[in-house]
Amino acid sequence: MATQQKMSRLKKARIVSQTVFFLLFLFLLTRTEYHGRDTIGYPVKVFLELDPLVFLSTLLSSHTVAPGMFLSFIVIGITVVLGRGFCGWFCPLGTLNDMVGALRRKKVPKETRLDTHGVKFKYYLLVGILVAAVFQFHFAGVLDPISLIIRSFAVGIAAAGDYLTHSLFGLLYSTGVGAVTAVSEPVYEFLRTHVISFEQRSFVQGTFIGLLFIGVLALNFVRKRFWCRFLCPLGALLGLLSRFSLLNHKLEEAACDDCKLCLTTCAGGARPNAGGEWRGSECVMCMNCESICPQQAIRWQFGRPKPEYRRTDLKRRYLLGAGVGGLAGLAIMRVSPARGHADPKLIRPPGSVEEPEFLRRCVKCGECMKVCITNGLQPTLFQAGFEGIWSPLLVPRIGYCEYNCTLCGQVCPTDAIVELDLETKKRTRIGQAFIDSGRCLPHAFGLDCIVCEEHCPTAPKAILFEHELIADEEGERELKLPYIDPEQCIGCGICETVCPVGGEAAVRVNSVGEDRSPTNRFLL
Amino acid sequence: MMDRRSFLRTLSVGIIGSQVIDPRELFASLPAGGPTGGPALSVVKGADPTAATGTAIAALGGMGKFVSRGDVVIVKPNIGWDRTPEQGANTNPAVVAALVALALEAGAKKVKVFDNTCNTDRRCYERCGIAAAAKAAGADVFFVEERKLKKVDLKGEKIKEWPVYTDALEVDKIINVPVAKHHTLARVTLSMKNLMGLVGGNRNLLHQKIDVNVVDLAGYFKPTLTVLDAVRVLKRNGPQGGNVKDVEMRNTVAASTDSVAIDAYGATLFGMTGDDLGFVREAYGRGLGEKDLSKVNLIEKNLS
Repeated sequence: MATQQKMSRLKKARIVSQTVFFLLFLFLLTRTEYHGRDTIGYPVKVFLELDPLVFLSTLLSSHTVAPGMFLSFIVIGITVVLGRGFCGWFCPLGTLNDMVGALRRKKVPKETRLDTHGVKFKYYLLVGILVAAVFQFHFAGVLDPISLIIRSFAVGIAAAGDYLTHSLFGLLYSTGVGAVTAVSEPVYEFLRTHVISFEQRSFVQGTFIGLLFIGVLALNFVRKRFWCRFLCPLGALLGLLSRFSLLNHKLEEAACDDCKLCLTTCAGGARPNAGGEWRGSECVMCMNCESICPQQAIRWQFGRPKPEYRRTDLKRRYLLGAGVGGLAGLAIMRVSPARGHADPKLIRPPGSVEEPEFLRRCVKCGECMKVCITNGLQPTLFQAGFEGIWSPLLVPRIGYCEYNCTLCGQVCPTDAIVELDLETKKRTRIGQAFIDSGRCLPHAFGLDCIVCEEHCPTAPKAILFEHELIADEEGERELKLPYIDPEQCIGCGICETVCPVGGEAAVRVNSVGEDRSPTNRFLL
Repeated sequence: MMDRRSFLRTLSVGIIGSQVIDPRELFASLPAGGPTGGPALSVVKGADPTAATGTAIAALGGMGKFVSRGDVVIVKPNIGWDRTPEQGANTNPAVVAALVALALEAGAKKVKVFDNTCNTDRRCYERCGIAAAAKAAGADVFFVEERKLKKVDLKGEKIKEWPVYTDALEVDKIINVPVAKHHTLARVTLSMKNLMGLVGGNRNLLHQKIDVNVVDLAGYFKPTLTVLDAVRVLKRNGPQGGNVKDVEMRNTVAASTDSVAIDAYGATLFGMTGDDLGFVREAYGRGLGEKDLSKVNLIEKNLS
C-alpha cells in the first residue's frame, strides 16, 4: 500500500459512492420482505431495472420490456458519455469484489497472458448470451452481476446471516439470565422486525448458490475483481458502450517514470501505465491510478477519445465462435423433456405468464423467493429444464401461497410474474390439489381429520366432505371424507402444507390445471 | 383508531350505564351466590362491542374480581386467520382491547396478547386489527416463537407431553376470548378450542379426537375468565370464512368463569344446545363446568 501518497479526491468520491450504493442495496434487500403492509413501499427492484444487460437480453428474448426497465437508459446514457463508471462506482458486486480484493496484499507488477487475453473472455460470453437471447433462450440472469448478487444474497448469503443471528439470540435467550435477555431480546426484536428475515428462511440449493457466490468472491485472490475483469457480461456490455465516451484517462508520458504502481492498483485491466496501449473499455474508473501516481502524471479530462485508446482487441473468429457457442449451448440445454411435458411439481407463482414466455422473461434474481412470506417459493434445479435453472417454484410442503398476498408479482423486475390485483390473484389457479386416499387419515384409516378443509381459503371452500356412517369399537359414528371441488381449488397448497400426515402429504398440489397454460389441464 | 382516553370513557360509560339500567340486578349477579347456585353467565347485547364487553364484565362483579394487583395476565383472542374483522374469523379487536384496558385498570402488571396462528402470523395480527387495538390499549403483543415452546405434561386424557408456549405457563390469569364460529369437525368453535393457540407442535394432529383434546387443554389451562365474542358470528364456511354473507351480526358479548357454560350458551347461537357438542359433554363429564343453561345464573342485558 502506498501510504506515502494521500488519496485523491476522485478516489475518495468513488469510495463514498460505492459505500452509499452498497448500503442502499442492502437496505432494499431488507425491504424485500413483508412489513405489515400489502404493498412493498420501496423500489426494491431498482438495481435490476437500472441494469442494461437485463434490459437488452429480456428485450431480445421476450420482445417485451417491463416499464421500470427503461431506467436502464440512465446507465446506458452515463456509460456512453462518461464511461464504465457503473462498475467502479455503483455495482454492488463490484464493491464487494473491491472489499474482498483489499484483503489481498500481493501485487501483480506486470501483465500476464491471463491479463492480456482473459479480459476478452467476458465479451465472448456476452455475445454468446445475446445470440442465445435472439433465439429466445434467456440465460443472462444466471451471469448478470446484479441478478447474481441478489439471488445469492436472497437464498444463500442473507439466509446464512439470518441463521447466525437467529441462532445467536436463541442461544442468549436459552441462557435464561435476566441481565442478558433484557438486552438481547429487544435487540433481537428490532433486528427481526427491521433487518433480517422475520423467520429463518431455508432454500433448496441455498447452500449451493451461496457457495458459488463465495467462489466468485474467492477469485479476487487470483486477481482483484477477477469477476469484473474476465467474466462479467454486464461489464462487457458497458465496455462496448463506453467505446466513445468523452471522459478520458490521460497519461503525461513526459512525467511518467514507468514505476508501474498504477498498473498494480488498476481495478480493471486497463493498462493505465501504457499511454498508447490504454484499454478504455476495461477501465471501471476506480481512480486508483490517478490517486497512486507519485509523479501525478495521470489526469482525467474531457475530450474526444483517440480511437486506438479505446480498443480491447476482439478476434472476429472468436466472436463467431461465441455466437456458435451460444447456439450450441441453447440447443444442448433444450434437450430436456421439460419443454413439452410440464413437470407436475413445477408450480409457478400466481401471475406467472405462460411457461415458454416465463422462461424468456425470468432473470433468476430470486426477488420473489426473498419476498415470499411463507418461504414456499424456491429455486428450481432442473424442473423447468436447464434453461429454467433457479427460476421460482412453489414447494407447498415448505410453504403455501398466502391467499391475501401479492408480493411476488410486485417485486418481479421483468414481469415474468405479472403483478395481480388482490381479487384477481385470489381467483388465479396455479395448480390443483389431489387427495391421496391411501394416506389420508379419514379415507385410509377411518380417523377424524378436517385440517385441509379447515385451512382451505376459498369461499366457498374447495374441499368438501362426503359423509359416511362407520361402526368401530366406539359405536356408530359419522366420518367426513374430504374431496376436492376442482372448480374452486386454486392450487395455493395450504392443504399440503398443513396436512398432518408426515413425510409425503396426503393431499398434494400439481401444476396441472394452472390458468396460464392452455395445455396443462385435466378438465374438459 | 380510538385513543386511549376516549376508549376508557366508552368503557366506563358501558359499565356505569349498565349500573344505571339496573343496579340491583348487578348486585344480585355476583358469581358465587346466584339465585340458582350455578355459575354466573352474563350475556350483553349492544351495538358497541367495547361497551358490551365492559357491561358483561361489570355484570360478573367487575374485572377486579378476576385480576389482582400485580398479576401477569394473558388475554387470548382467536387470531387464527388472515381475515378482516368484518369476515368474523378472528375475535373482534374492540372486545380484546376492552379486556386489556379493564385488566390494566384492575392493576395487572402486564397484559399479554398473542395467538399461534394458522395463516402467516404477521399477516393475521395485522389484518384482524387486534395487534393495533390491543397495543393501543396497553398490551404486550408478540408472536409465538418456536424457541419459546416448552414440553409439558398436560396430564390430559389424550394429550400427555406437548409443547406449550412458556408465556402461557408463567402467567397468573388467563382470560380466554374466543369468537363464535362454525367448524366442520367440532361443529362450532368456541372457548375450549380457542386454547389451542397456547400450544405449539403439530397441532393439526389434535384434530383426531378433537372433542377429547380440547377438553384436555381446557382442563390444563383453566382460564380465570372466558369472554365469548358473538358480535359477528360466522355461520358457514368456518373456521376462516371469507365471505361476509356467511357472517351474522349478533352484537353480543357473553362472559363467565365457566367455559363449559359459555360453550353451552355459544351452541344456542347456532340453534343447538350444549348437549349437541361433543366437547361440551366431555367437559361436563369431567366436572369442568355446567352444560345445563337452566342451572346457570344467566344475567342478560340489552344496551340498545
